[in-house]
Amino acid sequence: MKGIAKGLGVTLKTMTQKKVTYKYPDVPLEMPNRFRGVQHFEPDKCIVCNQCVRICPTECITLTGKPNPDPEKKGKVIDTYDINFEICILCDLCTEVCPTEAIVMTNNFELATYSRDDLFKNMEWLDDNNTNVRLENSTNPQAKKGAK
Amino acid sequence: MEPATQGVTFGSVVIEAILGVLTLLIVLGFVTYAIYFERKVIGWMQGRPGPNRVGPFGLLQTVADVLKLLIKEDTIPKKADRPLFILAPALTFVPAFTVLATIPYTSKWIPADLNVGLLYYVALSSISTMGILLGGWASNNKYALLGGMRSTAQMISYEVPLVISVVGVVLMSGSLNLSTIVEGQAGYFWNWNFLPQILGFGIFVIAAVSELNRTPFDLPEAESELVAGYHVEYSGFRFAFFMLSEYVYMYAIAGLTTVLFLGGWHAPFPFLDFIPGIIWFVLKFCLVIFTLYWLRATMPRIRIDQLMSLGWKVLLPLSLVNVFITAVVMEFMK
Amino acid sequence: MIRTEEMLLNVGPQHPSTHGVFRVVVKLDGEQIIHADPVMGYLHRGTEKLAENLNYTQIIPYTDRMDYVSAMTNNYVLVHAVETLLELEIPERAEYLRLIVMELQRVASHLVWWGTYLLDIGAMSPFLYAFREREMIIDLFNELCGARLTYFYMRVGGVKWDAPEGWIDKVKAFVAHMKEKLGEYHNLVSGNEIFLARIKGVGRYDAQTAIDYGLSGANLRCTGVDWDLRKSQPYSLYDRFDFDVITRTEGDCLARYEIRLEEIRQSLRILDQALEQFPEEGEIMGKVPRVIRPPKGEAYVAIESPRGEIGCHLVSEGKAEPYRLKFRRPSFVNLQILPKLLVGESMTNLITILGGIDIVVGEVDA
Ligand code: SF4
Ligand code: SF4
Repeated sequence: MKGIAKGLGVTLKTMTQKKVTYKYPDVPLEMPNRFRGVQHFEPDKCIVCNQCVRICPTECITLTGKPNPDPEKKGKVIDTYDINFEICILCDLCTEVCPTEAIVMTNNFELATYSRDDLFKNMEWLDDNNTNVRLENSTNPQAKKGAK
Repeated sequence: MEPATQGVTFGSVVIEAILGVLTLLIVLGFVTYAIYFERKVIGWMQGRPGPNRVGPFGLLQTVADVLKLLIKEDTIPKKADRPLFILAPALTFVPAFTVLATIPYTSKWIPADLNVGLLYYVALSSISTMGILLGGWASNNKYALLGGMRSTAQMISYEVPLVISVVGVVLMSGSLNLSTIVEGQAGYFWNWNFLPQILGFGIFVIAAVSELNRTPFDLPEAESELVAGYHVEYSGFRFAFFMLSEYVYMYAIAGLTTVLFLGGWHAPFPFLDFIPGIIWFVLKFCLVIFTLYWLRATMPRIRIDQLMSLGWKVLLPLSLVNVFITAVVMEFMK
Repeated sequence: MIRTEEMLLNVGPQHPSTHGVFRVVVKLDGEQIIHADPVMGYLHRGTEKLAENLNYTQIIPYTDRMDYVSAMTNNYVLVHAVETLLELEIPERAEYLRLIVMELQRVASHLVWWGTYLLDIGAMSPFLYAFREREMIIDLFNELCGARLTYFYMRVGGVKWDAPEGWIDKVKAFVAHMKEKLGEYHNLVSGNEIFLARIKGVGRYDAQTAIDYGLSGANLRCTGVDWDLRKSQPYSLYDRFDFDVITRTEGDCLARYEIRLEEIRQSLRILDQALEQFPEEGEIMGKVPRVIRPPKGEAYVAIESPRGEIGCHLVSEGKAEPYRLKFRRPSFVNLQILPKLLVGESMTNLITILGGIDIVVGEVDA
């Protein structure tokens, strides 16, 4: 009976203590800055180098480029850029390899929708998702080696 | 017709009916808020706020839940035994409600002042077991069957010590009438039966928790083993009936504990008598209910074989010893 | 004449106590089990096959999803295998960070086990208490690497992020807090007579059986075998720390329970020392070639995950992708003893025994 009594004491004590739950969704959850949330994409910065597509382990990025409308400049500009959030695992690799920080992580994480189709995010949506952008991106530990 | 001698007139029937409906409403209100407070108290004990989304402080949470149950599709499994499946919830609920009639709330307010009140309670409450067994059997589900069997085994085994443990109380007050039993506990709180009958009280509490199928004796439902036990196939309002009868029994047992062992409507000290009896009753009643919640928040579940041996090998002999000791002491005190 | 019949009962794949989608087909005589057949594979994602088409950095997030309760140790076993083949030198600071997160992960994983085990046994509160403390660890990880469950923190050659400012102090505070809470856990559960009666002597086996079945982790140590890879084949920096390998000789569920709770204490001890020794500064990434191509060859490394020996067998042909990658998953191996333990037990003990083995279905099915 002693063990049971001790246990009862613990629960009774906890009853008077402060609640530990978050007030989410009444109070929004603050994620630490490094948090890997839904990406933000800036079309102007992208140089269509395809590195993000190649590194993505789940192959959820599709992009197409078009020739630069300004005939003076060489290279391509981005035409479409889609991420399929049904399979994106928010692993951070695309933002890690992007040389121009065109694709960066934000701290936004609310993606729930009623339809799977809504999880297919296009360039406009990703461009508009520009709040809570993460400060440290492109911190490819390999690339930065020795740079410190 | 000579109504006066019969004591039954059209008027008295109506009054009885109104009283009956009133009691039903009180009980329903109790069940609603018993569930609410159960979730609140357990939430607090686990560092959570408990239900807080529907209505102020979540007060309407249970109302919403019940509403959901009522408008849910009523499903009956194809292979179930239809008549029995339908009968089972009713068979569980009706006795649960009828036993409430005997509980004396104050010296005046006694819905039915039966001379064999205690016996009536015990006899009717065991009918519910049948409902549970039927429900488990008729569902034609293996988990339900196991749950139903467990439940029957458990309830039958614990009814015996439960009844024998109160024999001590009956011996002391010399009556099976519940209000007489309360009257016998007047005076200071050490006159309440739980002290002179400390052994009987302990056995009663354990057996009662077990009768209620509540943690740590919640084996018939045992959601981690039997998913939900005997009511796994029930949904909608039929499920609500099982749920309801469970909480009505909680009400009944809490009332019975108060009456038998905690002095019913009496104040702990005579000088506190100016506070109305009903308040004392409600206070003690709430204390019992809170203890049930507290146990639920703390305890793991006991194992079925250990449950059985506890019932037959420990509680039953102890309750017999209790009767014997009480009888001997009473004989010498005379 | 009473006619009795055996009953075939499907426990799972949708069942509250199979910890995910795992199924046991049991033949019951009353409530007694006369035969049990585990069925697994509902969560199979083909991690090992997928890995053959991915480069080494890309495989790491997949290991997160194998044993999702203990992602950090899974990360480590893969990068450790690749590093062994590459013969890489890991900077000390990175190695300390790895060790700290692995030990925190061990605490978190054991907490999850403790909570869910008690939930299986019917007590609700321990689950929430355990998750309250686990939440703190997750918050620490979230701050460190930006994810709450699938960390993807370790990289071949080091770690992705350095500790943010003040993080080490937060870990120190957590360790102190956890020590105190551990006492509360013992008060709440370990002495409870109902709980003890339920798990004592249940699911017992001896050391020889455990070795024959290839069990590891607490499932092996509960029979008295003193085998913890952190001590018997030190990897990382474990040879620098002073800690005990907890063993019991009873071989039952209670022994496993005690070992896991005691291991939390030992992990806290290691953390205490590691946080003391943590180098002020330094690199967090070794000298890694831009494209990781381990030389032709094979490597097998094994480390002590919270569930037992997790191993990684890597066969490289000198390409950027592995030729074959095989994980020895402790949950899978430990589960093999289940049918043997279940025969003759009751339905109730099925849950107790299955919970006591501590499986994570993601790892069983990989
Ligand atoms: S976060 Fe990972 S999975 Fe998602 S798009 Fe980027 S690389 Fe692909
Ligand atoms: S890596 Fe960056 S710049 Fe290159 S295609 Fe992707 S988003 Fe554009």
